[in-house]
Amino acid sequence: MSPRHIWAMTRKEIHHILRDRMAFFLVIISPVLMLVLMSYALAVDIQHVPVVVLDHDRSALSRAFIQSITAGDDIDLIAHVSSMDEIEALLMRGTIKAGIVISPAFTNDLLSFRGIPIQIIIDGTEPSSGGFAAEHIGLRTEEFINASLASQFQTSDLNIDSIQPIDLRIRTWFNPSMKSEVSVIPGLVSMVMGFPALSVAMTLAREREHGTMEQLMATPISRLDLLIGKMIPYAIIGMINVFLLTLVAMALFSVPFNGSFLLFFALSIIFLFAILALGIVIGVFVHTQPAAVGLSFLVIFFPGFFLTGIFFPIVAMPEIARLEALFLPGTPYAVITRGVFLTGVGLDVLWPHAVMLVFLWLVFTVCAALFFKKKLG
Amino acid sequence: MDRPDSIIHTRELRREFKHTVALDSLDLDVKYGELFGLVGPDGAGKTTCLRLLAGLLNITSGSVEVLGFDLGADSEAVKPHIGYMAQLFSLYGELSVRENLVFFADLFNVEAHIFPQRMARLLEFAGLTEFTNRRAAHLSGGMQKKLALACTLIHQPQILLLDEPTTGVDPVSRREFWDILTDLHMEGTTIVVSTPYMDEADRCSRIGLMYAGRMPVCESPQRIRDQIEGELIELQPEDWRGAGSLLESQAGVLEIQTYGESLHLLVDNAELRLPQIQTSLHANGLSFRSIRTAPATMEQAFISFIRQIEA
Repeated sequence: MSPRHIWAMTRKEIHHILRDRMAFFLVIISPVLMLVLMSYALAVDIQHVPVVVLDHDRSALSRAFIQSITAGDDIDLIAHVSSMDEIEALLMRGTIKAGIVISPAFTNDLLSFRGIPIQIIIDGTEPSSGGFAAEHIGLRTEEFINASLASQFQTSDLNIDSIQPIDLRIRTWFNPSMKSEVSVIPGLVSMVMGFPALSVAMTLAREREHGTMEQLMATPISRLDLLIGKMIPYAIIGMINVFLLTLVAMALFSVPFNGSFLLFFALSIIFLFAILALGIVIGVFVHTQPAAVGLSFLVIFFPGFFLTGIFFPIVAMPEIARLEALFLPGTPYAVITRGVFLTGVGLDVLWPHAVMLVFLWLVFTVCAALFFKKKLG
Repeated sequence: MDRPDSIIHTRELRREFKHTVALDSLDLDVKYGELFGLVGPDGAGKTTCLRLLAGLLNITSGSVEVLGFDLGADSEAVKPHIGYMAQLFSLYGELSVRENLVFFADLFNVEAHIFPQRMARLLEFAGLTEFTNRRAAHLSGGMQKKLALACTLIHQPQILLLDEPTTGVDPVSRREFWDILTDLHMEGTTIVVSTPYMDEADRCSRIGLMYAGRMPVCESPQRIRDQIEGELIELQPEDWRGAGSLLESQAGVLEIQTYGESLHLLVDNAELRLPQIQTSLHANGLSFRSIRTAPATMEQAFISFIRQIEA
């Protein structure tokens, strides 16, 4: 270990990052840009779903029902139609995402407690909008039944308290408005933090491309000093990124931060060293920068997106995917980011994930030290 | 047999790659203070040889000792004492001339109080003083090579290993670069340099001619030239194809090499053959602009050796 050698590498790398505009953009700007872009793109809150109604009942009650389910911004009633064929045609053209059919017996059945005969036809080619519409209509229907039954009881001799109307209350914790950005952004933070690893893989490949790696190998610098010197600047930049991303998440997307900043930053440093070591392992195996980018996406970003449980629950994955997820530093880190942002839990809950991070850090560092040789060919 | 006066000492040195033997049983001894040139066609093993001497490649078999360090056992210990310049070496373009020098001074543990004067001397030496703060990427190709040399000299290595340092450099810069090497040689630095240029090989104190991973010839330039069989006649015919095919079968002509529009004829005895060739050309109606005897150059010697080996 020579502090002078490490500092020489670090200083050179910082000069490179600050003076090469492309490198600067890649390591400092792109993680924040990625987070913002993806947050907007993945904000899957659906509003203004176009629907039509085929009302066979045409009663005051059915009109009230239609009004109640289409109130607000979630569902837009674009027309009343007069046949099933029209609904089918509109669905096929993609003009509407759902059609609501109200049976002629609507008023009768409702008032005689026989449930409400309505049919919802959904465009299954886009399940998220259709499913949202169905769910929304279901909820509103329950509300409507409760409300109309209540008023019915008031006008009848029966005592309202003797029959309990349906009482279904769903309460969502931690993200009360169920805004998807809020749940997704902390996970995205863990994913875009893969960028420092990409950068470190690229900088190793770059030294090879330019022949400077051969030159470095001919100097007395030790392998470890070389790798440490290269990792330090990207670890620092990674911490700046963590800070910027937290700021953007809180300021731009109103994501709450309920946990401890100190814990978050401490665990972020461990994550950074783990992912940087992985980046070095990648950099050892590639000889060109394009290959470094390609392999980083294959090893860090795609699995980071699909396997770390940000969007798709790990428990629902097949065995092999779960095994791969286990070895991604992003998996425990995604749990940690969500934990400190949303639930505000501390190390008492997050410790298994912190231990996993440390473990992966050691594994990848050992791999990097084993694979990186001061020899050519 | 170990010779105490040799600074580089290899025995049966062999390096294989997946499908080729890049270096095959090389026995090389370079003495202190030599300016040793490695020449040979592309792919002959020059780069592999230099990389092995710099401890950058694992040895397949045999031994290599540099400055008394056995590189097969430990390739790191020797590194503070050698200066190696890779063929591809292009420096760190975003760093200035000074920053590049500082970087390598740090890696080679050059003491801080020595560095300023050494840097000044090297910059002066390389003619780069006025470009101290210019980024390396903005230097000309020749200046980049000189900066690279300055970087490999920053720790005053005892041995310089240079892999085709002047390839792709203009003739003036090439000459300047070699003037620097000659100065270093005079100061006592041992230099091993590979080169594709025969005029550069001529400036070495000894030349190793490499071919297919071996070094069949290892002599001083003068002795290599002397070893060429026969003497040289330079002929400038009007029709060099016709003249070439006619003279190929002439008695006394050992070899014909083509240089542009002139033919270089290696003959057993120039004095005897000159009139004979003139007569023969006249008799076949082949005119020529000039014909004369000439001393053999390195290039002719090189081509001649390669042909002998290939034949």
